[in-house]
Amino acid sequence: MPMETNDTAVEEEEEKEIDLALTREILDKLPAKSRRYLIPTLQKIQGIYRYLPEKAMQVVIDELQLTRAEIYGVISFYPPLLTTEPGKYIFKLCYGTACFVKGATIIAAKIHDEYHIRPGETDKSKLFTLQTASCLGNCGAAPMAIIGEDTHNTIDPEKTSELLACYRDRRDEEETAEVAAE
Amino acid sequence: MSTVVSKTVNFKLNGKDVSAPEGTVIIEAAKQHGVEVTNLCYNRKLKPFAACRTCMVEMKTDGKKELVYSCTQPVAEGIEVSTNTEETNRYNKANVEMLLVEHPLDCPICDKSGVCPLQDNTEALQLFDGRFEIQRRNEPSIKSNPIIEFYLNRCIICGLCVRACDEIQGVQALDFHKRGMKTTIGTANEEPLDCEFCGQCITVCPTGALLDMTSENRGLAALFTNTQSVCNYCSWGCTVKLETKKGKLIRIEADEGYDVGINEGNLCAKGRFGHGIEHNVERIKNPLLNHGGTFKEVSWEEAIKTIAERIQSTLNRSGPESLAGIGGEKLTNEENYLFQKLFRGYFGSNQVTNLANLRAPYVNRFMVDCFENGIHSKPVTELEKADVVLIFNSDLPSEYPVAGNSIRKGAVFTGTDILIANPRNVVFNNEAGVDIRMNYTFGADLAVANRLSRIMLDNKLVDKTKAKSAVPNFDEWEKSLAPYTADEAAKLTGLSDDILTRAAKRFAREADRFILIGNDILDTGQGEDILNALLNLSILVHAGGQGSVSIFPPREHCNSQGVNDMGCTPDYLPGYRSAKDSTALAALAKEWGLNSLSFGDDNPARELWDNCVNGNFKFLYIAGEDPVGSYYKGSQAKAALNATPFLVVQDVFMTETAKMADIVLPTVTFAEKEGTCTNMSRHVQKISPAIPPQGNSKTDLDIFFDLANALGKPFGYSSVQEIQEEIARTAAVYKGTFPGSRSKQWTPEDFESKPGFRICGPFAKPASKKDYTFKLLTNNHMFHIGNYSQYAKALVDVGPDCVAEINPKDAEGLNLESGDRIVIESESHKVEVPVNVSAVAARGMVYVPKNWAEVQVNLLRNGEEGLVSIKVAKA
Repeated sequence: MPMETNDTAVEEEEEKEIDLALTREILDKLPAKSRRYLIPTLQKIQGIYRYLPEKAMQVVIDELQLTRAEIYGVISFYPPLLTTEPGKYIFKLCYGTACFVKGATIIAAKIHDEYHIRPGETDKSKLFTLQTASCLGNCGAAPMAIIGEDTHNTIDPEKTSELLACYRDRRDEEETAEVAAE
Repeated sequence: MSTVVSKTVNFKLNGKDVSAPEGTVIIEAAKQHGVEVTNLCYNRKLKPFAACRTCMVEMKTDGKKELVYSCTQPVAEGIEVSTNTEETNRYNKANVEMLLVEHPLDCPICDKSGVCPLQDNTEALQLFDGRFEIQRRNEPSIKSNPIIEFYLNRCIICGLCVRACDEIQGVQALDFHKRGMKTTIGTANEEPLDCEFCGQCITVCPTGALLDMTSENRGLAALFTNTQSVCNYCSWGCTVKLETKKGKLIRIEADEGYDVGINEGNLCAKGRFGHGIEHNVERIKNPLLNHGGTFKEVSWEEAIKTIAERIQSTLNRSGPESLAGIGGEKLTNEENYLFQKLFRGYFGSNQVTNLANLRAPYVNRFMVDCFENGIHSKPVTELEKADVVLIFNSDLPSEYPVAGNSIRKGAVFTGTDILIANPRNVVFNNEAGVDIRMNYTFGADLAVANRLSRIMLDNKLVDKTKAKSAVPNFDEWEKSLAPYTADEAAKLTGLSDDILTRAAKRFAREADRFILIGNDILDTGQGEDILNALLNLSILVHAGGQGSVSIFPPREHCNSQGVNDMGCTPDYLPGYRSAKDSTALAALAKEWGLNSLSFGDDNPARELWDNCVNGNFKFLYIAGEDPVGSYYKGSQAKAALNATPFLVVQDVFMTETAKMADIVLPTVTFAEKEGTCTNMSRHVQKISPAIPPQGNSKTDLDIFFDLANALGKPFGYSSVQEIQEEIARTAAVYKGTFPGSRSKQWTPEDFESKPGFRICGPFAKPASKKDYTFKLLTNNHMFHIGNYSQYAKALVDVGPDCVAEINPKDAEGLNLESGDRIVIESESHKVEVPVNVSAVAARGMVYVPKNWAEVQVNLLRNGEEGLVSIKVAKA
């Protein structure tokens, strides 16, 4: 089912300062500066920054002697590799057969209504990144989703909405606590 | 041909006994025997890929049947191959049928229509009633760069563009993105294409998914009129297909046909997109007469009469040698031949030259030296079969881009070793197993070349005794190499001796070797010695090694070779016979119906500019050149032209030189003329007119005809062929080379055998000047060459600005970042340009392309030879 297009313009984020030394460290530890190690390198870099920052990719391009087309060709092939920073929680909505027929798309539509995001996108407040998964292996509890590290079984649009609100409150509390601590 | 000879295997093709070299894939072997196998993703220049799955054939090995993809399966002894069987057609059909589910049938507005492999295959497989429901994609066209449009609805993901960009061009600007149903080809994150704009992707695309936006018309390329001709820009001499419609040049395409030209359908940005000069409003429309600084249009009759009268009066008053001429490096051989014939045969003046010869007269002598040493050099069509290629001080992607294509193909299919010697860290991506970069200190060219020779001698990489007996002055030469010890060479070149030794070993082993030399060496002021050092290196492997060596003189423009072949130099008559050779002069006189021909011993044209200033030349005729804008000593040329009493310039556009002329004659571009050009490797190739001369312009040939008529002695030729026949008689090397539609390399058979090394002078570091701490290097930009490319809109779109290059370390010292503007100042001139901080630039050197009229880099040179000393400061 094609989702409505998201008309809310994505605001250009200010580029975050990242520590490129960490990328260089990963590259320096490679057995050889060869494109053979591209995918594990990308995984490690994503492990640090949670996504693949443009500037870090430029370092990889220079060191492993690739072109932009090549590296982004690889990145776009693998859905887990992200080119933009994901939200605090990654919302993996199962689109496996069971979940799909039991309404996963309706849940996706609900999320779109509330947060204006489609699969692959991050909401404005950087709370969630919505992803769909082929099958998360819990078909008995369809439809289901994994939010951050937590599994949520037999959800529906309303329940999803409540869940998301909980996560938002949790983040807000954490932030307040952080400010207080400072 | 590579020194490794491959075996021939015999097999059956559709019941017939045939043979092919071992390793040939079935589809290619079949093609060579006239059998076409359906396919969409095969190209002989590329590695087998098997993306489209439409080339299945049946193969029987010892009676056992298999269905194989003919683009990946090599032929083998005794196999029986059947194409177009009921079974293979079933499979091939199914795959094409599925492509047609998505592929739009917008053929009337598609550039590939009529020359479309998908159309051809659909037809060949009789796929007229598909079983599937049509599901078209409807994505908008991507036009984010000025030249290449991506209309991906037509794309069949065959990968030809991605592979051509990678394997042929070494750029990898395109790749596959996403996966499965969503796979597309394109740039990273759909960024605007930023590449060498060679357009190979357009040529190889089988469906019109990639389109040439510079084309004046959309659709039905098959209905254009095609004219095969030769590119008018660099000296590589690529065959181009000029496509016209209703008398207008629509676009330029490559011809991937077999045995066509030397470039196998490869072109560069200039060759493919450098049109737009033909139908250009800025062309000179009528002959112009200079009335005290303002130009007045005059009739052709009046212009020619004025010139003829001036010639007569100058001859009468000051004698024949007071007339001088500059032949054109972009004129055809026939035109240049007639030009020197006018001077020698009609005016009695030997003072005819060309800009390349004025700058570096030793280049011709170097070529003759090669011949006299028995180094005849193979045709460049063999370059892809070379075992080792030495690229000496040439930035190939800018200078001879299509040579780069052949070398990359060689690296894949022949296993060519690539040795690159350059002070700049030039980009040349390729798949060679051995790719040695000799990134030396600038100005150390001579030391690099001589050290390579010495390593070969010291390490006994060649048979010294054999070389010694073949070349008389061997000992003297060996002694001259004494200063180039490992330590000394390392100090001069900044290279470790290991790298040089590795390169020398690869070059000295039994191999077919090619040396390509860049025009950058002419800037060093030691061009002659560097050429001699490379000549000596070639002589050494030629006389003391196994295999072959091919070495070509550096040439810049499309006919820089031909203008010299035709004798537009005061030293040589047509065909490199000495202008002092009385037998040759007598033969020429006889051919031209004269009693005798003889010239004085002095050749003031060697110092043409000085002799203009001194008043020795009263009349100067420049055919299609712009010395003020492009000669390496621009200010010297300008002063000379100012002092010349009468100046005739014929050109297409009003150049800086034309603006100084007394009479300007409008000529035509290469698309409007007939004749031949000779490329740097001596291939004589045919130029054919695709459109008639525009407006009131005339071909250079017609102008010379008119002039001969006005002088009362018509040439009497009735066709270009008659001129060619005369050239074949007077320039012996051209005998039998004039082409039908094939290109042919002229062979230097009539040269004396005079083996001998050319001893080089001692190594000299580039002179340094106080306060002027940097050196200037200048050459043609990747998208520009000569004085016409700035009129080609597409080339200006992709290469709009003159941008200098500086090394990051030097930039740091000057606190510069890419995009900053800098002022470059020499003792004589000052220019301001934006700068790009790039690791390609050598330390201590600033590279500035020379193709912008507003950045007159040639004026920075104040008469001196060698690298120009400059100051650099942030603007």
